[in-house]
Amino acid sequence: MSIPPARVPDGFRRLTEASGFAASNGPWFEKIEDGRAIRGFLPGPQHANALGIVHGGMLAAFLDSAMGTAVWHTLKRRAVTLRLTIDYLGPGRIGDWLQAEGEVVGHDEHVVQVRGRLYGRRHDVLAGLGAFSLLSRHRQL
Amino acid sequence: MLNDDPPTDHPLGDDPPADFRKIDFDRDLSEPTFNSHIGGLYVKRGDKGTRDEFVMGFRVHQHMCNPAGGLHGGMMMTVADLVGAMGGGTLAGLRKFLPTVNMTFDFVAPAKVGDWVEGRAELVRATRSLLFTNIYLTVGEQKILRASSICKIPSGDGLAFGKARLVREDAKP
Repeated sequence: MSIPPARVPDGFRRLTEASGFAASNGPWFEKIEDGRAIRGFLPGPQHANALGIVHGGMLAAFLDSAMGTAVWHTLKRRAVTLRLTIDYLGPGRIGDWLQAEGEVVGHDEHVVQVRGRLYGRRHDVLAGLGAFSLLSRHRQL
Repeated sequence: MLNDDPPTDHPLGDDPPADFRKIDFDRDLSEPTFNSHIGGLYVKRGDKGTRDEFVMGFRVHQHMCNPAGGLHGGMMMTVADLVGAMGGGTLAGLRKFLPTVNMTFDFVAPAKVGDWVEGRAELVRATRSLLFTNIYLTVGEQKILRASSICKIPSGDGLAFGKARLVREDAKP
């Protein structure tokens, strides 16, 4: 699947290191702005549910990735999701660019709390709150 | 490594256990939607009121995994969302599309390529406008995901949830 570059907002770089689920459901993009990582993707027909809007599972997966990336950018530690709660606020439409970002709101030596947001140009789509478990600094994926 | 190709079948195939039938989410559609794109999803229906009244299942393939090689959380969340709406709706006797309002996921254990994952819903309560369910995804006896879901029950008929159907045994190639 190729996306006309004009459809991707300025400053976003395509995440080429994706594999597996993220690659199958991408391409996903990222931009670093004021130290924050913002992720974006352009929903296509393969992301749709029976109503023709973006599938809740796809939205959840994308928000989760953005929240995990926020942990990396804030603490320089890798983490895996322990718990995620998501409120579905509005629909994501096919062909409308969507963005997601996370904010670390607290942590100890094992667990990080992250607030997340997924949104379109004019409206909020998901609000998330997650707990992420920090991996050992020495662990290789 | 970039991968723009659609997911290919695992050499071992899905090999679903007995009584599971593939769900055809895309009847009459020219392009696969998300439920088909992520991989083959199967359902088994048991007797009313039993643990297996509605069971969704799938085989873990590489294209459903994360960089660490385990089943991606996004795949678990997607299936749990479906089990909450389709399974919970079935247990409550509802036959319409139920939009999800909230989901909470606890990632209890990983799963790996080749595992057969099953999802079951427990009906907590159905009000006139909301459906509360608990969902577990399991591999054998091991729980891998605990989720709870709140769906909206649309007034009237909503969107009939008849687009998806089971592939008929006799329609298989």
